Amino acid sequence: MGKPKELRILYENLDVPDMHTIEVYRQHGGYKSLDKLFGMEPSDLVDMVKESGLRGRGGAGFSTGMKWSFVPKDIEPKYLCANADESEPGTFSNRYVLERKPHALIEGIINSCWTLGIHTAYVYIRGEFTLGKKRLDAAIQEAYADGLLGEKVAGKDFALDIYTHAGAGAYICGEETGLIESLEGKRGQPRSKPPFPAVQGLFQKPTVVQNVETLCNVPLIVNNGVDWYKAMGSVYLDCPRGTDPVNTGTKLYCVSGHVEKPGVYEVEMGLTAHEMIEMAGGVRGGNRLKAVIPGGSSAPVLTPYECDVPLDFTSLQMAKTMMGAGGVIVMDETVCMAHALTNLLDFYAHESCGQCTPCRNGTPWTRDIAKRIEQGGGQPGDVDRLIEVANNIANVDTFTWNTICVFGIAVSWPAVSFARKFRPEFEAHIREGKCVTLPVDEAVTPPEENYAWPQALAEAAQKPAWD
Amino acid sequence: MSFEFTTENLAKFEELVTHYPEDYRRAVTLPALHLAQSQEGWCSPGVMEYIAEMVGTSPAQVRDVVTFYPMFFEEPVGEYIVRVCHTLPCDLCGCAKIKEHLTEKLGVGMEETTEDGKITLLSSECLAACDQAPVMMIDDDLHGFLTPDKVDELIDGLD
Repeated sequence: MGKPKELRILYENLDVPDMHTIEVYRQHGGYKSLDKLFGMEPSDLVDMVKESGLRGRGGAGFSTGMKWSFVPKDIEPKYLCANADESEPGTFSNRYVLERKPHALIEGIINSCWTLGIHTAYVYIRGEFTLGKKRLDAAIQEAYADGLLGEKVAGKDFALDIYTHAGAGAYICGEETGLIESLEGKRGQPRSKPPFPAVQGLFQKPTVVQNVETLCNVPLIVNNGVDWYKAMGSVYLDCPRGTDPVNTGTKLYCVSGHVEKPGVYEVEMGLTAHEMIEMAGGVRGGNRLKAVIPGGSSAPVLTPYECDVPLDFTSLQMAKTMMGAGGVIVMDETVCMAHALTNLLDFYAHESCGQCTPCRNGTPWTRDIAKRIEQGGGQPGDVDRLIEVANNIANVDTFTWNTICVFGIAVSWPAVSFARKFRPEFEAHIREGKCVTLPVDEAVTPPEENYAWPQALAEAAQKPAWD
Repeated sequence: MSFEFTTENLAKFEELVTHYPEDYRRAVTLPALHLAQSQEGWCSPGVMEYIAEMVGTSPAQVRDVVTFYPMFFEEPVGEYIVRVCHTLPCDLCGCAKIKEHLTEKLGVGMEETTEDGKITLLSSECLAACDQAPVMMIDDDLHGFLTPDKVDELIDGLD
């Protein structure tokens, strides 16, 4: 395999001036998918999306086609919610779609709604995205004026309305049922599932909640075909039962932290964490790499010795972390891991919705332990205590949680992975009673002790193929 | 402390109501609160009572919503809102120095308002612009790649 290159399909022409206007968007092939779309049967379109292998880009990586096949056909009305509540620390790719290419999202919504027989779509956009909302609202107005929305979409006997709905600064509203509650005008506290939103969601009706990036992929698949789409990314021949082996298409990786050129890089899925860092100009100032969070702040951290892992759903799952929303946070040798963890747990303590006791109380508790370790007040046994408290919110080893939603695991994943993989640095803080930043080799727990880099994964990763 | 929408905002509100099913009028609560806060500056008790009446729910339920979302203010705030991101990617890129500079420059702590009522300084969770870290927002505008000099320029430029 040669050096990985950027491959912009979602971000294509993103930097063209005035790409946020319908005129320029159309000049560059925008809304072309609609000609094909309306010539196809919705059920064939669901199959097409299923066959393309498209997986949800918001975090869970669930097959989009599969999710769509759960939506009951005989219940009306149904709703689509585009999740533009991008709040996961380390992710920022949706922001630029909304600000610079909002019609791509509208085109994605039209494609998805026709496929699913949906006539009302809401874009839940985070409150801080003021420019993004302004641009998207203007784009929606343009689309109405151009006959692409309203009673007859593109002259067809199909009605569709799109509304934007601004959030107000709560991270949990990115969780799909938290988002639904918030859209209904309530606190954004996630619901118990089942029933899943596809059956009973917004206003108690069948609802499909999809990330912005996922929706933007749909018109590309419709327009260019399944084979074109499947040629990008990778599929693994060997992987454990229950692991989805399909990683087709590109991913918008958001690279931040200690790299020379932070930014969004769109590439075919499957390049390694090391290659991603290289693409972003390498670690700043030629410093040594200390840690990488591969999928946004909730994803378990990787040590430098694990960075040969390909950044795709399957490989990251096998490496006991996750793709999440593709936020790659890079930390160099200057970082104190106790400080970094305290910062993240502060975030989660602030954002816990307060509904479930283990999360509401456990999250500040883990934060307090991490903080006292960082500040030199750690007690002997605190590292294990931190792991235990976190595992009682959600257990990372059994993958079970004592909470309604997966926020619990989003807390314990970073907490436990930091503590286990960088244990020597945490212990040094406690031993010396002050903040100690160890050299990389000394800060990392030897692999055989607490985490395993599965050889099988490295082997499986060598065999991406469809044939 | 009673409150009501201006004619212009009332028209906006009536339009917003049409976005949601008739039997779920409460769904307009968040957009209505955003609109009211843009007019009043904060979500005063008067705002909450008015919105409750307008969306057909109780003031307690509106308050329930207001207290959940950090962007709704339960107390009066300054003329300008400065939100400094302090989550990990910004922290890695030196937001602590930016916060320190701002608190010294403005003579207030984080989550406080300057004595002249001009600026409310808030710390914010990830603003989703980590490639421009460290970042802050002044009202609706995002500013990235902050340095103390750039902060001076931005703050001094507020009239």
